[in-house]
This record gives sequence, structure tokens and C-alpha cells, in this order.
Amino acid sequence: MDHNKKTGIGGKILLALTMIFFYLPILYIIVFSFNDSRSLTKLGGFSLRWYEKMFADSTMMEAVVYTIIIALLATIISTIAGTLAAIGLSRSRKVLRNIVEQVNNLPIMNPEIVTAIGLLMFFSAIGIKKGFLTLLLAHIMFCTPYVMLSVSPKLRSLDPNLADAALDLGATPIQALTKVIVPQIMPGIISGALIAFTMSFDDFIISYFVTGNGVQNISILVYTMSKRINPSINALSTLVILLITLGLILANVIPILKEKKEAMGKSSGKKGIALGMAGIIVLSVLGIIGFGGNSKMDAVAKYGSDTLKLYNWGEYMGENLINDFQKEFGVKVITEYFDSNEMMYTKLQAGDSYDVLVPSDYMIQRMMKDGMLQKLDHSLLPNLSELAEGVQNLPYDPDNSYSVPYFWGSVGIVYNHNNVDPAVVEAQGYEILRNTDYKGRIYVYDSERDSFMMALKALGYSMNTENEAEIQEAYEWLLDMNNTMAPIYVTDEVIDGMINGSKDIAVVYSGDATTILEENEDMSFWMPNEGTNLWSDAMVIPANAENPLLAHEFINYVLTYEASMDNSEYVGYTSSNQEVLDELSGEDGLYADNEAYVPRAGYEKDEVFEDNPVLKKTLAELWIKVKAAK
Amino acid sequence: MRQFRNMIYPYVGWLAVMVVVPMLMILLYAFTTAGNEVTTFRFTLDNFVRFLTDAVFLDVLKRSLLIAVATTIICVILGYPIAYVIAKGPEKSSFFWIMLITLPTWINMLVRTYAWVGILQDDGLLNSFLGLFGIGPFRMIHTTFAVVLGMVYNFVPFMILQIHASLAKMDRSLIEAANDLGANPVQSFLRVTLPLSLPGVLSGITLVFLPAVSSFFIPKLLGGGQYVLVGNVIETQFLTSGDWNFGSAISLIMAVIIMLSMWLTRKVDTDPAAGGKGA
Repeated sequence: MDHNKKTGIGGKILLALTMIFFYLPILYIIVFSFNDSRSLTKLGGFSLRWYEKMFADSTMMEAVVYTIIIALLATIISTIAGTLAAIGLSRSRKVLRNIVEQVNNLPIMNPEIVTAIGLLMFFSAIGIKKGFLTLLLAHIMFCTPYVMLSVSPKLRSLDPNLADAALDLGATPIQALTKVIVPQIMPGIISGALIAFTMSFDDFIISYFVTGNGVQNISILVYTMSKRINPSINALSTLVILLITLGLILANVIPILKEKKEAMGKSSGKKGIALGMAGIIVLSVLGIIGFGGNSKMDAVAKYGSDTLKLYNWGEYMGENLINDFQKEFGVKVITEYFDSNEMMYTKLQAGDSYDVLVPSDYMIQRMMKDGMLQKLDHSLLPNLSELAEGVQNLPYDPDNSYSVPYFWGSVGIVYNHNNVDPAVVEAQGYEILRNTDYKGRIYVYDSERDSFMMALKALGYSMNTENEAEIQEAYEWLLDMNNTMAPIYVTDEVIDGMINGSKDIAVVYSGDATTILEENEDMSFWMPNEGTNLWSDAMVIPANAENPLLAHEFINYVLTYEASMDNSEYVGYTSSNQEVLDELSGEDGLYADNEAYVPRAGYEKDEVFEDNPVLKKTLAELWIKVKAAK
Repeated sequence: MRQFRNMIYPYVGWLAVMVVVPMLMILLYAFTTAGNEVTTFRFTLDNFVRFLTDAVFLDVLKRSLLIAVATTIICVILGYPIAYVIAKGPEKSSFFWIMLITLPTWINMLVRTYAWVGILQDDGLLNSFLGLFGIGPFRMIHTTFAVVLGMVYNFVPFMILQIHASLAKMDRSLIEAANDLGANPVQSFLRVTLPLSLPGVLSGITLVFLPAVSSFFIPKLLGGGQYVLVGNVIETQFLTSGDWNFGSAISLIMAVIIMLSMWLTRKVDTDPAAGGKGA
């Protein structure tokens, strides 16, 4: 560059603006990590509750450590491998170079989910145990191309004769490499390493599908736990910021101190970084010491093992349930989360083993058909007698041979009764979503089956119809809604959106409606007369479970009054335990005046989803077309 | 010259096992139909026909490419001056700035994007701030503006890193020479600095454009569910509708389009790079 070493005033302003742009969201995250309210967009008072929650959650703390270790190892390995490969590549024949460059672009260019499924199938095919090693291999796989992409431009502008000159002057190839080439391309290597670290640190989808056995990184937790709002994610991010900043300060301060002592400092910068990184690891490892489970021998004697692997929806469990269960039975519970039934099904099909799962109705039906579930031993489940009336005799498993209901509910309309006349909602039902008086004021739940349920019900058809004409009619209904109402399609953001009153009408699950009604008094809930989807999520034991005895114990435990109460109070979804249901909805109950908490039972137009993979694909495609239509 | 050529072979082996084999497994899905079980499939081109003959899907593809191109252009326009200013400063402070720019990318992308949702909302931080001056409120969330902003925010650090790497340690004597030969600062920038930094710009473009085409979190959160980009279509096929065959086919179509455009970029790239070598 030119000699002007000082940054001019224009440059300073530019850098300042850049920093505001980059750090505004970070500041936002930090501020909201101290927010007393559960909202991610509205500030309440000051509180440390999310930090308490985070530190009490050993899964989170473990995830921090795994993330850092994996990211550091993947960065180091892929930086070295990528640099060597890039140097080799720069000397290769053009054909080979072109091929490698194109193949290298694949992991960068492919949607992550494609790479993830490819690796999932690959690791399953070679029968490698999923966990730390598979996670690390996958990260090295997708990080290395980034390093090469950073190093290659530097190599291209490097004089190819330099290395030859070094060799001619008697340097060994290794000397030529480390003393001549590497220093020249150092900026490229550093930026490659930074990008590799970022990619590894931030990766969710690939990590999700290639890991297993309780090894999870922060991104997996963030993604699966934000299923419903969880500000402890903000606390976790703040902790990460703190750790990284600390590491950077160490990296910068140590060399300065050293310089003062030794009055030399050329290589100490790198040492400083290494020391800083080591510092981060030590800090974070220290941070989680003491969180380890305290297993007891009698658990092993009684159940054959002291570890239960639970695979559940994110944010779908009472705050104390797992800890209480661990204490009472002297076992350790490893929890992993999923965000859709299909995600869970994919991992299970790839051979991953869990002891207890909590899929939804139609998915249970499919898994029963596929022989993926174990028959339950009712003698180990005395608490089955506690089951609420509304979840007995469910069509997919009427005598609970394979499944025990966990939560249940319906789908209905939440509306702001100050802006929308209840009489209109009750008269129009789902048709209100096509009432242009409310244009631009509606949220629609982004799920093909629930949207088609709404349209089919509005038209007076069954939501399980396979009749093409009826489906076509429903498609046109939805298309009309899309084109005339300017709806916003959301999933879990609907909770925060309605709590803040951003829109006036929303189609939501009754359990989410319960939360919305608790937090915002202006909101009311209506289950349309046209009928709705009566859904249920239930606990099942997969056929390949390693620990079915303990799994039964867990299912039985969840049905107890204490556990069900904890669950329903915290999550807001309708309990499958009759006593808890009665108490919470009773006069002095937490959800006494909450019309969303108790689903309508025995209404003839309400239905339960049936499994139909072909129909599901058809609806999914039509639904995308509805959303994408302009 | 050929000493280091062999270093590529282990990596070629690694690529074959870890990238090519899994991709072939995905390819198998793209050309087959029925179920998730590999046992009961038959070969077909239906998945491709289904996508390529549907006006809605083609629109989605077009929109995705446009958004990605817009994001890339904005990233170059913003990223180059920032990288230039950083590279121009003293070496120590430039490391500090680079770290400051990288640090936010280590916070989970989903969390950062959620933060933008809060900032851009109708009654969010930015509108409240503008309200103090009596401006607005503007509708920002669930618009193209929000989606592009989210993408630029997430991807511009990679552009800055790449351009900075190519500007750092650039042979300063070249610029001195240009100045000595009577070039004014603008000329020496356009004739010397810019051409020499182009390889970095191009790899920055790769690093922004590729992930931008297939991203699905950002459009989903900042654009709303109605903001369907091709990444969202693919994601839905795998994660909700369970149609792996269709999902694989779409990603293959996308891969081909992108490879073609990268190949074109490289064609453009060869000239300035050759100039750079000669310098």
C-alpha cells in the first residue's frame, strides 16, 4: 500500500460505521440476555434468571466445551491440510487443478442440508459410531475448502521462482516451504483459519446430522431450543462473547508482557494466540467441572445401564423434570432435541439409537407401520391410569400399545379482541383469514398440513382427504388468501409476535395460544366450528433402544402428577395427566381463565392426522407454491 | 517448481472419500423416485422435469439468484473500502480490526439474525430510534431489504477478510514505483493496487455468493415464510415433506448453475491474474 500509515478521517468514520453495523446486534443480544421478560423483542426489568438457567443446564455447558474444542481442532487441522493442499494444487496440472477446485466448491455451494444428508448416509454406510469423531471429520471436510480458497489467491500472486531460488541456494524443500512460501502467503492462511473457525463454530445442520450420543455443539442447541423462545440462548451467546474477548485480550496482552521482559516479540504474537486459545479451553473446561452426572451402581443393577437417551422437541420439558428424574433414580439422562418429526425420523432411520422419543400422532403411525417401535409393557407403566380422557383411545394407537401421550391440543385462531370483533371470528371461523378487512394483519402458521387443514375445514371437507378435486379447491382457497391478505407465514416467531401484538389474527397451536393469552390480555382464542386438528405428541420406545427398562421408568415418571405439573406449567401445553389438567384449568389453577388450555373434546368435526407420505409430499409442494406466489 | 506437487494427492483422496462419495449418494436420489429406502427405487428424470417446468419454481430460482447477486455486489462495494482502510493502517492495528470484524461471526448466526428481527421490527429498535427524529416508522421486517441486509451482515466479513488478505503484504515498492513514475494516487490505485487485489475479490465473491444462493435461515426469519428462496425449497424437501428425491434434484440443478457461473467468473479472472503474475 502507500506510505501513509495513518488512517485518515474518512477511514476512521468508515471503520466506526462498520463497527456499529457489526456490533449493534451483538449489543442487542447482550442487553436481552439480562431481560426479565421472556420476550426477545420487548424489554422488561433486569434479571439474571437466564444465566442461572444456563449454568444449571449441563447440556449447554457441555455444548460450549464441545464447540470450542471441535472448532479449534478443525481449524488447526484444516488450516494445515488446506495450506499444503493449496500449495500442491498451485503446482499441479491444469486439469487436476480445475477438477479439485470445482469439487472443493461443492461443500461451500451445496445447501448445508444436502451435504448433511450425504454425510449422514456415508457415515451410516461405513458403520462408524456417531459422535465426536464424525463431527470432527465433517468439520474438517467443510472447513478445508475455505482455507484453500483463502490461500490460493495469495499463491497466485506469488512469484513461482521464489521457491526454486531457495532450493537452488541449498534450502531443503521443507525449509523452502516454511521459510519462503508460508511467510509470503501468511495473510491468506490467517484469513482462511479465521473463516474455518467461524464456519465450524457456527455450523448447525451438518453437525446435527453427523453427531450423536449426546455430543452437541452450541448451534445445535440454539436451533433446537429456540423452537419456543428461550432467552438463555442470549445468555449463552453473551458467555461466548465473553470467552472470546478474554481469549483475544490474553492473546494481545501476553506478547506485550513478554516483549517487556525479553524485548523481543516477533513470534510471540502467534504464541500469544495459542496461549489465549489454551486459556479459553481451560476456562471453559473449568466452567463445567462439577456438572458431571453422579451415577449409582444400583441403577446399573436394576436397569442394566445408568444412562437414558431421550430425543425430544426443544423447549418441551419442565425445568426440573430431568434433574428430578436423575436424582430419584440415580441415572444420567442425555437429551437431544429435534425440530420436526422428519428430522427425528431421518436420524432414526440412519440407525441412531435412543431410548425414548416424543413424536407426533401421524409419525407414530408411520413408525408403527415401519416396525420401528417396541411394544410397551403396561405392567411397568402403572401411571397409565392417570391419562386424561381426551387422550384415551386415540385412533393411531387406541390401547396405548406403543405410545403414551405427552402433550396434546388443537389448532385455533388467536385474535386481538380490541381490534377484531369476537362475533365476526366466531361467525366466520377460518374464513376470517380471507376477510380483506384484516388484510396485512394476519399470521399464518407455516406448515403444509395445518394450512391445508384450515382450508379443507373451511370448505367443509375432511383434513385427511385424498380427493384431488377437494385438495385443488383447498389450494385455490390458500392461494386466494395469499394473494389478497398479505399474510406473514411464521413458525415459532408467532408467539413473540402475538405477545407483542404485532398482528391481530394468527393461526396457532393451542399450547402456544395458552402462552400468548397468559402474556397478553388483549388476545382471545377461538376453535372454529368447522373443526380442527386434534393433535398429540406421545412417548414411544424405538425398536433399537438400548435401555428399554429405564425407558419405561421414564415414561411412567413423566405421567406422575409432579412431572406432568412441571411440564405443563413451564411449557404451557395441555397435560396428558387428568389431575394436572383439572387442577391447572380449575378455578385457582394457573390457566383458570385461559380458553386455549383445554382443547375441545368429542366434537365430531375435529380430526386426527393420518399418516400419508404421498399426500404429505403433494401438500408440501402445493404449499410452497402458495407461499412463493406473488 | 514441481517439488510440492505431490502434496495435493492426499487431499484428492480425502475429497474423493468425504465429498464425492456422499455427493454420489445424493445424486442417486436425484435420479430416482419413491420412498427413502434405497431398495425400492427406479430411475427417472421426473424430479428435474417437475422443477424445471414449473413457473413458480423457476421464479423462486430467479429470485434466489438475484438476491445472491445483489448481496454479492453490495458486499464488494462495502467490503473493499473497509478492507482497504484496514490494510492501509499499521500492521498491528489491522490485526486488531480484523479480529473485531471476525468476532461477531462467532456468535451463532441464528441468534444474530433473531437480533436483527428485533431491531428491524415495526416497533423495533431502529424505528424507535428514527422516531426520535420524527422519521418513519418504516416497514422493514419481512421485506427484501431485511433479507439482503441479513445476508450482507452475515457474509460481508468473509469478503473483507479475503480482500484484506490480498492487500496485506502487497509489495509496497510497486506503488512507490508507480508514484515515482508520475502516477497520481487514483491512477496507482486503479493500475496497481486494484488489479493485484482482484484474486482476493474473486475468492470473496465465491465466499459470499455460494452461501447466499442456498441460505434459508435468513430469508425465513427476516423475510417471513412467504419469502421462499431455493434454499428454503430444498430444506423443506428434506426436513418437512421428506421428499429427498426432489430435494436432491433441485440442489443438483443449482449446483450445475452455480458451477457454470463460477466457471465464467474464472474465465474473467484469468486475465488480471496473469497481469498480476507478470508484475
